[in-house]
Amino acid sequence: MSSVLEAHHIVKKFPGTLALDDINVSFESGKVHALVGKNGSGKSTLLKIFSGAHAPTEGEIVLDSEKIEKFDTTYAMSKGIATVYQELSLIPTLTVTENILINRIPVKKGGLLDWHAARENVRELLKQLEIEISPDAIVGDLSMWQMQMIEIAKAMSFHPKVLLLDEPTSSLAKHEVESLFKIIRSLKEKDVIIIYVSHKLDELWQVADTCTVLRDGRLIGKVMMQETSHSDLINMMFGQVSIPKRPDDLMVSDEVVLEVKNLTRRNKFENISFQLKKGEILGIAGMLGSGRTELLKSIFGADPFHSGEIIFRGEHVKSANLIRMKKLGMALTPEDRKHEGLILDAPIGDNLCYASLEALTPNGMIDKAKQKQYIDRQVENLQIKVADTSMPVSDLSGGNQQKVVVGNWLNTDPSVIIFDEPSRGIDINAKQQIFKIIWEQSRKGVSCIMVSTELEELLEVCQRILIMQAGKFVGEVIPDELTNEQLYTYCMGGM
Amino acid sequence: MDAQAKTKINAPAILSKHMLEIILILLFIIMAITSDAFIKPGNLLNILRNVSMTGIIAFGMTFVIIAGEIDLSVGSTVALSGVITALTAGKLSEAGIMPMESAVVLGMILAVIVSIGIGLFNGFLLTKFKMPSFIITLGMLNLLYGVAAVISSGFPVTTLPSWYSVFGAGSIGGILPVPAVFLVAVFIIVLIILKYSRFGRAVYAVGGNPESARLSGINVNKVKTSVMMIVQACCAISGILLSSQVMSGTFSFGRGWEMTAISAVIIGGASLAGGRGTASGTFLGLLFLGIINNAMTLNGVDEYVQYIVQGALIIGAVLINSFQNKKKD
Repeated sequence: MSSVLEAHHIVKKFPGTLALDDINVSFESGKVHALVGKNGSGKSTLLKIFSGAHAPTEGEIVLDSEKIEKFDTTYAMSKGIATVYQELSLIPTLTVTENILINRIPVKKGGLLDWHAARENVRELLKQLEIEISPDAIVGDLSMWQMQMIEIAKAMSFHPKVLLLDEPTSSLAKHEVESLFKIIRSLKEKDVIIIYVSHKLDELWQVADTCTVLRDGRLIGKVMMQETSHSDLINMMFGQVSIPKRPDDLMVSDEVVLEVKNLTRRNKFENISFQLKKGEILGIAGMLGSGRTELLKSIFGADPFHSGEIIFRGEHVKSANLIRMKKLGMALTPEDRKHEGLILDAPIGDNLCYASLEALTPNGMIDKAKQKQYIDRQVENLQIKVADTSMPVSDLSGGNQQKVVVGNWLNTDPSVIIFDEPSRGIDINAKQQIFKIIWEQSRKGVSCIMVSTELEELLEVCQRILIMQAGKFVGEVIPDELTNEQLYTYCMGGM
Repeated sequence: MDAQAKTKINAPAILSKHMLEIILILLFIIMAITSDAFIKPGNLLNILRNVSMTGIIAFGMTFVIIAGEIDLSVGSTVALSGVITALTAGKLSEAGIMPMESAVVLGMILAVIVSIGIGLFNGFLLTKFKMPSFIITLGMLNLLYGVAAVISSGFPVTTLPSWYSVFGAGSIGGILPVPAVFLVAVFIIVLIILKYSRFGRAVYAVGGNPESARLSGINVNKVKTSVMMIVQACCAISGILLSSQVMSGTFSFGRGWEMTAISAVIIGGASLAGGRGTASGTFLGLLFLGIINNAMTLNGVDEYVQYIVQGALIIGAVLINSFQNKKKD
């Protein structure tokens, strides 16, 4: 009894954007269906419509010729659609049995929980799935991939018709991925529709049968994996990308401002060496989990490193020290502005001055006039759209919040600025403004290091790109000689 | 804070923002009408005197709570400070090392140093071992109570020179109670530090989002340790004032004061989650608690009923707070 999940004319509108535009696709059971697309392509939105987290604006979802009437996750579960999310939903302090059967532990006559039956149920389930983990293990003691397995076992314990896997390998090491795939392949025999979302293209050939590609909210096509090459897939994902040109008046001097020598942080990155010249914009390209954010944080002194050294403006730095780096003129705008870059409840003005607090308080007390000048110059230069800087920064749009993060650091008059994902979650217009700010800094002789998941942005903004894979630098490229597809291929390991 | 001061006039918003002030004014008017004794200057100054010792601690606590921490041990430090002062005065004068008059000064200095040391220790456990301040200071609450009892052998220590009573029981010009003067002085200092100093700005940042603060180059551990030391220093001042008022250092003083101090800060609009709170809010919270107590006493409300009212008030204040925050989301 094979089953089929169909999407008919699915449209999803969010305020200001069309996330999905007339999607028609069907997925049959007994196969693994990959669903791919770059950030903002709509793949997550489509997945969320299947899982019941979002309702489509138009169109319908049909499972085995039965229309899905309601869009909420509990209802989807009851119809046999189970989801394994990227952020695991397990409770680390409980055992495997308690986690899998949470809320559903069998009860003995008299109302007491039947732990024996519960454990046996789970043991049987794990055996069927060939997962070798004890039902009594504490989930918090398991490794990441084992938790991922338990999460899948939990989903399978509902005997779903559809299993949605959202980036299941994003935090797994290579050998762990292999074990996970073994399980996924065995699930196919259970006649389940498996939809597999991933940005790791190389893995798809090992596990998927078909691949559905979305771009800018539209269905580009559904292809058989065996008949498709890597470059076919990349072409489908990216299409013709128009890359706005970096201004050509940017000059790089020969003076080295920052030199990193054999920097190593165990299990994060190793033997990283590079030089940064005055006024240069250097990109670091790598996939999620390649160690790029960790590297930036260690250079900045926010996280430790175990060996190697950093030579910054003639000073030899041998251990991480954020306050010293800041004094020497380094700045970092963090990747997660809400949790790392801003104090959301605090006024916009305060948020523009936290990093430069020392300069504003020559004798411990705040120099109000100077503070006003610091706030005004950033609001003006960065074109932060704000009526009143005493409003909480949480009132601003994402793009303007990002400018506040940048302004906070520009107020320290840095000589090197590290931008970690400066364009994350902001609209195209704000992105362009942020890039202009980076170029403007370069003109002033400030050096920049930029990391972005959006590889085309690195090509657009940077003068030189270092490629990072699994904690190591594997190559260096010049953007002008490169297409987006090539860069993507390099980052995935096809160098 | 002046965060919303410039937004356009909006009656419900003003009402909800200044709820505490409005309730306080209404309360004041009702009391003034219904009770002749209430409005007398002597009574009003009395209210101030009554809240002054817990109030000084509340101002220290304001730093701690804005920084996202808590100190439950404050009451025990109050007792310990009084005991240390009186014991030092007694022992040194008995041994003939110095007259009691000067020994008591040494005792006061010692009490302040020990208290700041306790704060340093609390801050050390907090920042070095990442222990929750709630647990550390819960332990210290009992530990210090025990220390105060042991060193005073469980008896009130009354070896204090007669002039010493000026701090707790004296008044300036026969009108202004000295503890109230201390309270106002501490209020003004805390107000200035929180609003206009680098340290104050750092305290808000650390409480609002420690990771953002750290990545902005603010020394989070130093700020947290400092606030733990400040509140303990406030306890020493408060303990000296109390021992002076009753002319004795007694180990059982200050029991339950953490409750009053924390209440005042929370009623004043601070958030236990950190990042929010003001000196003037705490001052209003203190006045609020003081007036309610005074009103109940004047109207002969049973002491135990007063506990019920106080407890309900704190819950009510936090409830209003959570409504205000919800509206923002």
